[in-house]
Amino acid sequence: MKIIIAGAGAVGTHLAKLLSNEKQDIILMDENEEHLNTLSRNFDLMTVIGSPTSITNLKDVGVEDADLFIAVTPDESRNMTACMLATNLGARKTVARIDNFEYLLPKNKAFFQKLGVDSLIYPEMLAAKEIVSAMRMSWVRQWWEFCGGALVLVGVKIRENAEILNATLNELGKNRVPFHVVAIKRKKRTIIPQGTDKIMLYDIVYFTTTKKYIPYIRKITGKEDYGDVRNVMIMGGSRIAIRTAQYVPEYMRVKIIENDLERCNLLTEVLDDKVMILNGDGRDINLLYEEGIKNTEAFVAVTGNSETNILACLAAKRLGVRKTVAEVENIDYISMAESLDIGTVINKKKIAASHIYQMMLDADVSNVKCLTFANADVAEFSVKDGAKITKRKVKDLGLPKGTTIGGLIRDGEGVLVTGDTQIEKGDHVVVFCMSMMIKKIEKFFN
Amino acid sequence: MINSRMISQIIGILLLIETTMILLCSAVALFYQGDDFTSFLATAGVTAAAGLSFYLFGAKAEKHLSRRDGYIIVGLSWIIVSLFGMLPFYFSGYIPNITDAFFETISGFSSTGSTILDNIEEFPHGLLFWRSMTQWIGGLGIIFFTIAVLPIFGIGGVQLFAAEATGPTHDKVHPRIGVTAKWIWSIYIGLTATEAILLTVGGMPIFDSICHSFATTGTGGYSTKQASIAYYNSNYIEYVIAIFMFLSGINFTLLLLFINKKFKKCFQDTELKFYIGSVLFFTLSIASILYYTEPMGFEESFRKSFFQVASLHTSTGFATADYMVWKPVAWALLTITMLIGACAGSTSGGMKCIRVSILFKSAKNEFKRIMHPNAVLPVRVNKEVVPNSLQTTVFAFSFVYCLLIVISTLFLMALDINFLDSFGVIVSSIGNMGPGLGTFGPANSWSALPNIAKWLCSFLMLVGRLELFTILLMFTPSFWKQG
Repeated sequence: MKIIIAGAGAVGTHLAKLLSNEKQDIILMDENEEHLNTLSRNFDLMTVIGSPTSITNLKDVGVEDADLFIAVTPDESRNMTACMLATNLGARKTVARIDNFEYLLPKNKAFFQKLGVDSLIYPEMLAAKEIVSAMRMSWVRQWWEFCGGALVLVGVKIRENAEILNATLNELGKNRVPFHVVAIKRKKRTIIPQGTDKIMLYDIVYFTTTKKYIPYIRKITGKEDYGDVRNVMIMGGSRIAIRTAQYVPEYMRVKIIENDLERCNLLTEVLDDKVMILNGDGRDINLLYEEGIKNTEAFVAVTGNSETNILACLAAKRLGVRKTVAEVENIDYISMAESLDIGTVINKKKIAASHIYQMMLDADVSNVKCLTFANADVAEFSVKDGAKITKRKVKDLGLPKGTTIGGLIRDGEGVLVTGDTQIEKGDHVVVFCMSMMIKKIEKFFN
Repeated sequence: MINSRMISQIIGILLLIETTMILLCSAVALFYQGDDFTSFLATAGVTAAAGLSFYLFGAKAEKHLSRRDGYIIVGLSWIIVSLFGMLPFYFSGYIPNITDAFFETISGFSSTGSTILDNIEEFPHGLLFWRSMTQWIGGLGIIFFTIAVLPIFGIGGVQLFAAEATGPTHDKVHPRIGVTAKWIWSIYIGLTATEAILLTVGGMPIFDSICHSFATTGTGGYSTKQASIAYYNSNYIEYVIAIFMFLSGINFTLLLLFINKKFKKCFQDTELKFYIGSVLFFTLSIASILYYTEPMGFEESFRKSFFQVASLHTSTGFATADYMVWKPVAWALLTITMLIGACAGSTSGGMKCIRVSILFKSAKNEFKRIMHPNAVLPVRVNKEVVPNSLQTTVFAFSFVYCLLIVISTLFLMALDINFLDSFGVIVSSIGNMGPGLGTFGPANSWSALPNIAKWLCSFLMLVGRLELFTILLMFTPSFWKQG
C-alpha cells in the first residue's frame, strides 16, 4: 500500500515509523529538510523535501497512485488544500488533520467528501475525549464505549482489596459473570488471557461489559470508596486543555493554570466563565494549596513538556489527588509513567496514529482504538453476510492465538460472548488482539 | 554496546550467500573440466562451515542494530568475504602466495581490477569466472546484493545501504529499500546481459563475453586475456565495451528514470551533465593529441581515446593500448579522469563527479565572494541549494582523499619505488581503477610490487570502495569508546 504522509511533525513522524514497520510503502513529505534528515537514514521509508500544496511536488512523489494521503502539517487549511489537490490528482483516500470543531460535525461530512477530504482527524479533540472519560470514572484507568455505549471497555488496576485477586478466569467464568476479561497488562507485558490465566496484584485488567454492570465491576475490583470527580485542575493551557474544558460534563468545575499571561488572555476569550483561568506556575505547590488542591479530585497535566507533566502528576498525587492524567508525548516514557502510578497517560501521537491506522483497514471497522497502556488493539467489525465467522460457534472458529472476542452488539444491545455464542450477520463484534494482528482477523469478517 | 551476535549472524548469512556463488563457479569449473573444481568445493565447504557457525553464534541475537554496528558490519563483511573469496586461488595453487591471493580478491570485490597475474591465459575457466564475478558482485556491493535477495536486515538495511553505497547523498527510487535494491539490480543484470549478447554477436567467445560483461558493468577491469581487450583486435568489441563502461558510470537511479521515459529529469541532472561534458572534453582532447602525434587515423585515434577515457573515467581499467607510450600530456589528462571518477550511485570509483562539481562551484563562489563580500552565494545541484553540512562533508572527503594519496605515495617512495609509479599505483588503488602509471601501467601487472605495498594497496582499495569514512571510522578511538 502506498501511503503519502505530508508533514513530518510529531504525528506524521510517529505514523511514518509505525507504518514503515508494517511494511507499507511510505513517502514522507516536508518542506523542512531538518525534519526529515534522521528519518530517511534510520527507517525504511522515502523522504521528499517539498510542499504538500505544490502540484509539482505532489506529482513528483507519485500521488496519482497513492492509496492513502495523510496531511498532518500544523496548519489546518494547508492540510485541507493538500487533500483536495491530492484527491484531484488521483489519491484514493485522504485524511486531513484539523483544528476546528465545526468541521467534525456529522452534517459537514458529505460536504468535505465532495471537496476531496475523506476523513478528518482532530488529535486534540480525541485526547480531550479520552481525558474526560478518564475523569468521569476516576477509578477506571481506561474507558471506551462501543456503539454509543451499548458495550463498554474498562481497564482497572487491581489492588490488595479486590475481590477477584488471585482468581483464574475459569473460576470467574463458573458464576456466569456479566463481564469478559479481554486483556491483562502485567508490568510491561500485555496478555490476551486464556481460562487458566490468573489475576494478580497490580495487574491492569480490561473488562468488557454493559453499562448496567459497571457498579458490579467496581465492587469486585474493590473501588467503591472512590468518589466522583467534581473539581478538576488542569495544568497548562494547551489546545488539549481548551478542548477538555469545553467537553467536561456540567457538574465538573475546571481550573486551568497557565504560566504565560498572553496565553491566559487568549484562554479567557475562547472559554466561558465556568472555567477559572489562573496565571501561575503549576509546579508551585503553594499556588496549588491556595487554589484548593485538597478539594480537587482530578489533576490533569497537559503542558508541552512530558517530564513536567509526569512530575506535576506525582506531586499532585502526594498532595492527595486521587486521579491524575498526564500528557506524555515521549513514547518511551509511557510505560515508565505508568509504573509511577499516574492514573491515565495521554499520548496525542498514539491516539492520532491509531485513528489513522483504522482507515487503512479494508473491512468495515468503525473503531480501532489503541490501548495506551496495553500493547493491544481493539477493533470493531460489522459482520457481513456469508463471513467466515458466522459459520461456526466462537469456540470452534480457530481464531489466532492472542485474540479474543470481547463482546458484540446485536440490534443495539450489548451481548457478552462465550464459547457457545453464534455470531450472526449484522452483528457488531468487538475484537481484542495483540498489536497489529488486525489484518489476520480481518479475513474472518469478509 | 556492540551487538556482536547480530553482527555475527549477518556475517554468517553473507558467507552463506558467498558459498552459493562459489558453488556456481564450481559448476563452471566442472563444465570446463578444469583442475580447479576440487579447490572450489573445498572453499565452499570451508565457507559454508564458517558461515553456519557465525550464523548459529548469532541465532538468538537481539534484533537491533546501532549505527556503530552498521559500520562494523559493512567494514567487516567486505574483509571477511574477501578472505574466504581468496581461497579458490590459494587452494588450487594458481596463486600460492597469500598476499597475492588476497590482493587479487579484494581488487576484484572492490571492482579495482589491478592484477598480479602475468599468466592469465593459463588459468582454468572456473577461477577466471570467479575473478570476474567478484567484480560484478562488488560493483554494487555485497550487502546491497543481500538486501535485494533476502529481506534479512529489516530496518537496519537502510543504514547498511547508506554505509556501502557510493556518493554523498543516496536517492531511493522506491520507499522501500528492498524494492529499490531489486530495481537497481534488475538494471544491472539487464546491462550485463545486453552487453554479453552484443559481445557474443561481435565474435567474442561466450565465456569471455560473460566475464568481460561482469568486469565492464562492475567497472572492474579484469580481463580473461593478458593483453586485455587489445587481444580481440576488433573495433566493434572496443566500441561496445566503451559504451557499456560509459553507461555503468552513470547513476543507476538515473538509468532507471531513463527507462521510465523521464528524459527531462534525467538530462537536468547536474552530475550527469558534468560527467558527459567531462567524457566529451577528455575524449576529444586526447583524440586530437593522438591524431597529431601518433601514426593513427581519425577513427582510430577517436576510438582509442574514447575507450581509454571511458575506461579510466569510470574506473574500469580495461586497455586497448598502452597509454604510457603516448605523449605524456595524454596520460596526464587520463590521470585527471582517474581522480575524478564517474557518478555517485554507479559502480565506479574515484572521487565522483558530484563531489568535484560541488567543489568547483564552491571554489567559484569564493572568487565571487572576494569581489562581493556580502553576497549570499548558494551552491546548486539539480536546481536545489546544497546544504552547508553536505558541502562540509564533500570538503572533508576531498581533503582526506588527497591526504591518503599523498601519504601513501610517500610511503611507496620510501620503499624505493619511483614517484610516477608510486603515484599511479596509489591513485589507481584508492580510485578502484586498475592500471597505474609508469612501470605499473596497462602493459604490466602489479606483481613486482613488494608485499607490504600490496597490503597497503588492498587496504586503499577497500577504503576507496567504501568511500573512505566507513573504513577509516573504525580507526578512530572514539568509535570504540562505550556510550
